[in-house]
Parts: sequence; C-alpha cells; structure tokens
Amino acid sequence: MRLPGPSGRLAPTVPTACLGPASARCAAGIRGGEPLSFLEFAFWNIWSKKARSLGLVLAIAFAVMTVVTLAVTSSGLEQSAAAIISVGKADFTVAQKGASDLLASTIDQGELTRLRQVHGVGSTVGVLVETEHLSASTPVFIEIGIAPTDLAPFGVTIVAGHPYGATTANQVMVGWRAASTFNLHVGSRFHANGTWNTVTGIFSTGNSFGDSAAMFPLPAVQGYNRVPGLVTMVFVKDAKGVTAATVAHRIDTDLPELTTIRTASQFGRADRDLVYLKAAVTGSTFLAVLIGAVIVGNTMLLSVFERTRELGLLRAIGWTRRRMVGLLLGENMALALLGAIIGVALAFAVTSILEQLPALKGVLHANYTSGAFWRALYTALGMSLIGGLYPATRAALLSPLKALSYE
Amino acid sequence: MTSPLASLQPAIELRDVVKVYEGGVRALDGVDLVVEEGEFVAITGPSGCGKSTLLHLVAALDTPTSGSVLVEGRDLDRVHDMSRFRREQVGLVFQLHNLLPQVSVRANIEVAMFGSRRSARGRRDRALELVQEMDLEGREDRLPTRLSGGERQRVAIARALANEPRLLLADEPTGNLDAASVDRMIGVFHQLHASGVTILLVTHDHSVAQAAQRIVYMRDGRIVDGVDAQ
Repeated sequence: MRLPGPSGRLAPTVPTACLGPASARCAAGIRGGEPLSFLEFAFWNIWSKKARSLGLVLAIAFAVMTVVTLAVTSSGLEQSAAAIISVGKADFTVAQKGASDLLASTIDQGELTRLRQVHGVGSTVGVLVETEHLSASTPVFIEIGIAPTDLAPFGVTIVAGHPYGATTANQVMVGWRAASTFNLHVGSRFHANGTWNTVTGIFSTGNSFGDSAAMFPLPAVQGYNRVPGLVTMVFVKDAKGVTAATVAHRIDTDLPELTTIRTASQFGRADRDLVYLKAAVTGSTFLAVLIGAVIVGNTMLLSVFERTRELGLLRAIGWTRRRMVGLLLGENMALALLGAIIGVALAFAVTSILEQLPALKGVLHANYTSGAFWRALYTALGMSLIGGLYPATRAALLSPLKALSYE
Repeated sequence: MTSPLASLQPAIELRDVVKVYEGGVRALDGVDLVVEEGEFVAITGPSGCGKSTLLHLVAALDTPTSGSVLVEGRDLDRVHDMSRFRREQVGLVFQLHNLLPQVSVRANIEVAMFGSRRSARGRRDRALELVQEMDLEGREDRLPTRLSGGERQRVAIARALANEPRLLLADEPTGNLDAASVDRMIGVFHQLHASGVTILLVTHDHSVAQAAQRIVYMRDGRIVDGVDAQ
C-alpha cells in the first residue's frame, strides 16, 4: 500500500536508506540499520532516564564497595593470621582452644609434655609469638621466640651469619624482608624485644609473614613478656606411619583444652576474633544487600510510576507479563552489573587509602581473592533482584487500560 | 491468513453487553452489534456515551459485566492468552498515539513485534515496509518528538499493523490533528479498508465518521441508530 502525499502524488518509492553510499546494500536486499534487540530496547530505556539510572548505579556501587572492602580487608587479616601457622614446616599446629585470637593462645610446659606423649606425635617445636610497636611506620612487628635447635625443624634457613645462642641475651636473627626494610645485616644493632640486640644472622622461611619477623632465644621473649615457660603454639610433626588426621584427632580427644589446626579454614578453632570478624562481614553483606535492595526497590517503584503509561502501552500491544518482568529486571540487572564494576573500583581505592592511614598501616592488608569479586557480583545482582521483583511484578500486573489513562 | 471457517464468522459480535464501572456508572447497557469482516464501521456519539468502552472491550483491554464479546467467532471470555490475542488479532490506535519517546520510529514499530514469530531481521524489514507504506521514509530513525502530530499518528497506525491483524481498532485517532492531517488519516483508513482490514473507528467527529462504510450512533450506553454512510 502506498499512501498519497499531501499533493495527491504518491510518495517516492525508493527508501531513503537506499540513497547514496548505502545503495549497494539495498541492491543486496539489505535495508536500514541493525534490528532492534530486546537488550538494545532495555538500554535505550536506561539511557532515556539518565539521572535515575545513575542514582541506582551509585546506590549499588556504594553497597558493593562496602561489601568488597570488608571482604578484602577481613580476608587480609585472615591471611596474615593464618600465615603464622604456615611458617613452621609442620604437619599441623596446636594452640589453646577458644582463645580470643591466636596470639593470645598459651600452652604451658605441662600441656607441652602431655602433648609430646600422645601416640603418633613425632617431633614438636614450641614457639612464643608476640607483637611489638616499633614505630609509626611499623605498628605491628612480629617477634618469635624459638630455641636455636628448633630452627631447622621449624623450616628456618640461615642465609647469612649464624643462629643466636640458646640462652644468650641481646641476640636476634631477622628475616630477610625485615633486614631489607630496616637495612640490617649481620653485626647490626636492632632495638626490639625491649632492648638493643645484635643481629647474628639473616634467615628465610619461604613465607612472607615469617621473613618479615625477627627470632629471639625463647627465654628472652618469655622473659620480656613475663610469660616464663609458656609458648603460643606448638608445631607438630607426625611419627612415621601415622596420618596427621589420626594424630590430630587423638590430641583433640586427649587434650580438650587444646585444638589442632591443619588448614586455614580451621583457624577459627583457636581464634575467636577471626570467627567474629567473618560473621560481622557476612552480617554486613546481608545488611548492605538489604539496604541496597530497599533503595533499588524504591527507585524502581518510582520508575514504574513514571512509566505507567508506557508499560500499559506495552501490555496493550501484546507484551506478556513475563516479558514485562524480564524487561524491568533486565534493565535492573544491567545497572547492577555496572554498579558492581564501579563498586569494585571504589573498593580498590578505599582499601588503598585505608592501608595508608597511620592507625591502620601495617595492620590492614587487603587480600583480593576471586571470592571478593564473586561477592560483589552476588551483592549487586541480589540487590537488583530482591529490590526489583516487587516493582516488576506490580508493573506486569498493571491493567493496560488503567495504565494508559494514568496521569 | 483467514481460514474459510473464520470468513463465515462476523469480525466482531457483541451480544447484550453491559458494562458497569465501580461506583455504578453504567457505560454500556445491553449493546448488540455485529461488524462483518472487511467492514469499516465508525461509532459516534456524545462524550460519555460508551463508545470508547465498547472499543476497549473488543480490544480485550477490559471485560464486560455481562454479555459476550466475540472476535472472529471467539468469545473473549474464553481466550486464555490475552497477550497473544492483543498482539496478533487486533491493532490498536489511540487518540494520544502513545509512542515510546526514547526510541526511534522504526523501534516503536519493532517493539510491537517482540514475541511474534518473526526473526529480528524480519521485524526490522516489516517495520521498514510499514514506514514506507505510511509514507514515513527518511523519518524511521527519528525520535517521535521530532515528528508532526499527523506523522506520529501514522507511526501509531504502522505499529498497530505490525503483526498484520485483521482488525484495526482506532479510538479518536484524529482527535489531536489539524484538518490536513485528518484528511490524510482518513485516506490511510480507506487504503487499509480497501486492502481488506476490518476497521472499527470511534470518533465524536461526524465528518470523520462519514468516512466509514457504516456509522453506529450511541447514546447513554446504547446503540440508537446504525446507518450506511456510503
């Protein structure tokens, strides 16, 4: 059908798209631009309401930023704490059960003796781990008290100098990272553990946490911290022919006041703070999702009100309810993904700033794991889905007639 | 494609239709109407006489309080997939054209074909075909806000025809148009009628109603007269 123009003549029959350079495409039967896809339609809807879309993206981004920052910093704390048990070359570690944190764990000589008597325990290395505030730039410095005879079983390699004496005062060995940080070498003087010490050797443990620490004769650290005879944890090697799981089970049964840690995931047995921290992070994530979902839901509900006529029209021309829900949730999901990306970038920035704050320097180490990024995605999509479901359903249930007459 | 059986049925049939709105307003009061396939019928009458309500019932946008509405022999009360009915069986044109302002003319037409059996390219080609038929070439990539009132209404008709319905329902389509645009719109309806589309046109404008094959007069929710206009 061709319609007569205002002058009564038929309008030109050649489509405009076929004029000029596009004429070759027309000859091949291809006219116009790309077909409109459902996603493109959703994009134009988002684009046409830039302020609302931006508001939604920012709400999601801030929630994601909060969740990711909490996740990477708590993961960093967990990693730092768990690194302690990874220093020794042992089959597993034994610590006091239910201590507020691992460094608060205490094992006395009696418990150590009973531990050594457990069937299957091969060798043990007891260490006392303390922290010291050295300076504003090194608020947390790890000091390990360990007998020189236990250094090799503990997995310590001397890379320069020699070990300290078993009971010699004022001698220290420093890890190669610490030596580099404080510009120390064999023979240097280093103020730590409450006194000036002579560096007798530089060591390596193959673990960044251990290599950033200093080691002293065990009695020196016990004396300075006034905990004679106590150790923080014991590294255990199994006797031949016995599995670590079996020995660990025996220790857990025979010495109920102690606990065994074989993996980082079991760390909470000896560090309640970390358990509470992880619970707080999980709780904060739920809270962030909930608050974000309320904001998303509220914004989207306003949007549904604004677009009532448009949504009514789509229903009137045959769009199904499912397609309507798909459109609105799809728009929300796209904004959520964008919010997640921005949120992760913000989390990087915020964490970097937090790491440099004097109060947190040396304490806070961000650990960017894939889990943190998945958490960002789940958070964003969760907020978008939970917040968007009610407005989308409400839109789908609109009476087309009432919606079309909505003012 | 019209089946032989379908051609024996009236395009639209209303049997003793009553519509009472909340608050007791009786918009339709026992309306009987038959529109044969291929007919061009105008319904006219004063404001509030129930003509738009009648159109909404035929478009399955609303349901009668009592009585039956049949489209091509199918009682709308028994149609389960209303979305499909609205998409495939009827084309709707409103007084306020109701175009989507955020997308182009072509996209406005393509949107009506989401959910149809056409491929994406098929939707695009059909939209361009309608752009050409409605004499809107060169405007397919424009936003509706950059069109004149008459052009917007032609886009609305193109959208209504996108899924090739056999029935076109138009509610005051010339209400906001100038005289030249009204003449052109009437020309469009004549062309569509000539091509076999059944048209039910609601208008309060007698001069527009005169363009139809048959005029049905309504008052106070009842059909008071029906005359052949041509």
